Amino acid sequence: MTEPSDRPVASAVFHERKTYRRRRVIDAARIAPFLTVFLWSIPLVWPQTGEDRVSSASALIYIFAVWAGVILLTFGLSRALAKSMDPQVDDDR
Amino acid sequence: MSTLNLLLIVCLGYVSFLFFVAFAADRMAMQGRKAWLRSPLIYTLSLSIYCTAWTFYGAVGSAARTGFEYLTIYLGPTLVMVSWWWLLRKLIRIGRTQKITSIADLISSRYGKSSLLAAGVTILAVIGTTPYIALQLQSVTLSFSVFATDADGASADGNGNLALWLSLGMALFTVLFGTRNLDAKERHDGVVMAIAIEAVVKLVALLSVGIFVVWGVTGGVSEALARIEVSEFGHWQTDRSRWAGLIFLSAAAVLCLPRMFQVLVVENDDESHLRTASWAFPLYLGLMSLFVVPIAVVGLDVLPDGSNPDLFVLTIPLALGQDGLAMLSFLGGFSSATSMVIVAAIALSTMVSNHIVMPIWLKLLPSGASVSGDVRHTVLLSRRISIVAVVMLGYFYFRMSSGGEALSAIGLVAFCGLAQVLPAMLGGVFWRGATRLGAFAGLTLGFAIWLYTLFLPSFGAGTVLPLSLVENGLFGLVWLKPDALFGIEGIDPLMHALLWSMAFNVSGFVLVSLVTFPSPLERLQAAQFVNIFDRSTNARSWSRGGAEAEELMIMAQRILGAKEAQVLFAEYAAKQGVRGDLPDPTPDFLEVLERELGSSVGAATAHAMVGQITGGMAVSVEDLMAVADETAQMLEYSARLKEQSEELSRTALELRNANQKLTRLSIQKDAFLSQISHELRTPMTSIRAFSEILRDTDQMNPEDQSRYASIIHDEAQRLTRLLDDLLDLSVVENGQVNLNIREGTLKDALDRAVASAGIGEDGVHLDITRVPQREDLMLETDLDRLSQVFINLIANARKYCDADCPKLAIRVMQEADRVVIDFHDNGSGISPEAADMIFEKFARVSDQKAGGAGLGLAICRQVMTRLGGSVDYIPSQTGATFRVVLPYRLAMAAQ
Repeated sequence: MTEPSDRPVASAVFHERKTYRRRRVIDAARIAPFLTVFLWSIPLVWPQTGEDRVSSASALIYIFAVWAGVILLTFGLSRALAKSMDPQVDDDR
Repeated sequence: MSTLNLLLIVCLGYVSFLFFVAFAADRMAMQGRKAWLRSPLIYTLSLSIYCTAWTFYGAVGSAARTGFEYLTIYLGPTLVMVSWWWLLRKLIRIGRTQKITSIADLISSRYGKSSLLAAGVTILAVIGTTPYIALQLQSVTLSFSVFATDADGASADGNGNLALWLSLGMALFTVLFGTRNLDAKERHDGVVMAIAIEAVVKLVALLSVGIFVVWGVTGGVSEALARIEVSEFGHWQTDRSRWAGLIFLSAAAVLCLPRMFQVLVVENDDESHLRTASWAFPLYLGLMSLFVVPIAVVGLDVLPDGSNPDLFVLTIPLALGQDGLAMLSFLGGFSSATSMVIVAAIALSTMVSNHIVMPIWLKLLPSGASVSGDVRHTVLLSRRISIVAVVMLGYFYFRMSSGGEALSAIGLVAFCGLAQVLPAMLGGVFWRGATRLGAFAGLTLGFAIWLYTLFLPSFGAGTVLPLSLVENGLFGLVWLKPDALFGIEGIDPLMHALLWSMAFNVSGFVLVSLVTFPSPLERLQAAQFVNIFDRSTNARSWSRGGAEAEELMIMAQRILGAKEAQVLFAEYAAKQGVRGDLPDPTPDFLEVLERELGSSVGAATAHAMVGQITGGMAVSVEDLMAVADETAQMLEYSARLKEQSEELSRTALELRNANQKLTRLSIQKDAFLSQISHELRTPMTSIRAFSEILRDTDQMNPEDQSRYASIIHDEAQRLTRLLDDLLDLSVVENGQVNLNIREGTLKDALDRAVASAGIGEDGVHLDITRVPQREDLMLETDLDRLSQVFINLIANARKYCDADCPKLAIRVMQEADRVVIDFHDNGSGISPEAADMIFEKFARVSDQKAGGAGLGLAICRQVMTRLGGSVDYIPSQTGATFRVVLPYRLAMAAQ
């Protein structure tokens, strides 16, 4: 049974803000794969015949640039989520 | 010949090195030094078994043949890793908490521990993986033959022997390091370490070839890009359906391939490793695929027409005289092949042994599943045999298919087959409504369509499927043609199979799940899986069907008390006619239980709890445990509250009593003040009156004069006494009194007191009895003050004793560390209300005998406190007793 005095009262505002930030980072982590799918689906609409065909070099650069971006994004997210991996604070579903 | 020999030596050396690494890692793990072995880096590298020899060599081949399509094989896994937060993290948490040992185990335990489903997934995995193992054998023998052509040494037979030796070697390695123990979580430190090293070797190999090609052959990045522009695939050209479909397929493969599941979930030691892998594994994949196009372009340019593009990674360095690089590249391919086969063999053998061999073995035993004793050796043996069988199956497949081109297409075919597990897996993890029958229906439909439209035709028309069937459809029905179901033609065969198999799989799974009803265990597991993050830090796995009743029992015990719950359960079990003490959780029983629980925790909570434990709501059993604990805690807390409130009311009562006493005192004080003013005024009045008479009367006879003067004198004396008492009390109370400590006997003090108080001025006679020999005690104290106390007590007795013939008994008792002197009279005593007042200032028992100011006893108590003793009123049946207690340290027996 937690005594009422045990609860963090003084730092409640600070806490709220931190929790809020963490939730948004988790949201970002959830959205990231959809963004990735979208970016790698773009080659589907590239014209494959005619004058304005996309050259292989630029196609390669595009795909690998997205790849690098995704790696950086995931790296940033995984750093930001480091604390949330703690099972105790796993309050999101 | 020398190159081949050198190659063999390097190869053997490399293999021995891997054996050594695995052995050392196992030793380290056994000694408990796991920190380094189980780092996020090792975990990430172990994931790289996704990149098999097929991707190592085949990616360049695929790029040379179909352009950018090879990228999809890497993009899918990257997507899966990016969605780690909501997908992989959940899978790993489930795997850890439910002690999952393989993908078949995952599916089976999610759907109520169905052994049929487990066996089905296992068979699917074996069918899907065997060609893949064959593919690895083929790629290694092919790469050998590249070196061997220089020295005309290798024939098809030689290749076969090589493959056999390779298979045996890998089987030996896997048996040695893959079945060391029967860990609940099936962890293999040695194997993981070895494949991590192999991962580094293959990455370094491919990057070296790539760097050589870009900077060594074409002369730089921009030149390489320019060369790509002018090459055959100068423009973006992919089959759109394959682009999307293959990304999906490879994403599904990462989740569903038994070997990937093994390293991703089963071998995972720490969830946080996933955080690193989420970006590091995409990085690995990106590096692996970075130089594929340049290598393919350069290969097509440099090498003669008709060279096998699958082997460009090897043949380019060889053709350009870079033998060392070629050797490294060969080791990379070798690493890819062996690591895949080893992990696949471990994963498959676990599945085959746990879900096919062991159930059959237990069934064949006469004693059945209740076999006593240690079955671990049997399990290990069955797993070892399974490993050898799986690897050998791959070898025979390789021999039968004679290593033809057909084999290289089998990779995606296998992916597609294993992807059939995906709906059941994801559905099971995210959808609580998924049922065992639904999963079974989906898997069966998907598997059947995959077999019919992709796997069997992949052997070529006329080999397994008769030609007529392929051309005219099953039973001559055109819309059942394997490559054009429902008459829709012109789709890529792989996409065709993927589309229809997944469509039927998903719809069968969803529809059947919607219309069927899951068993209680299934629902419990569904809740456990889907809500794994709710409260899963120490979730447990249930191995028996009776687990639910057991959980209900545990819950009930926590709430009802152990004995009561057992009686209730046993009673109902007897009513149901069930053997043992656990009844089936039928609706009737649940209702009874709910009512029983309701009497303790309230109807609503009880309903929720029972509803939850039987799968009615999204809460795990652990939640219920917590609720039960909380309820117990609440009960305890309220008990404590009750205790506290009782204490409070006790305190309040005391306060009320104190207040009453204060009020009484206040009234007494008011009464006393009026009394004392009266007391002071009366003598004053007479003093004034008589002094006026003396002053104003001229001729007064001397008799009257002396009478009046003596009245004035008496009254003045009375005033003085009153004021003395008041002064005395205030002095004693403020501690300003100086004690005059000297030696003397108690007898003397008493004698003095009796002498001065025994005979009053009013002439009332008090009969005092004493026991002089007992009083012969030597004291070291303030004898004057002590006498004052005694005088006061004797005077009180004389004043207030209402007996006809007043008597006072003074008794002295010597105890261990104190002397007790009792003053006992034979009067009517003091009423209890008055008893606690008499020692207060201005307190007087009655007004009518207003002899003093009511300060005597108050002074006595103060004096005794100063002397280190006490004076108390002892209620007794006859008369009043005042007890004076003196500490012994000041009392010494008279010599």
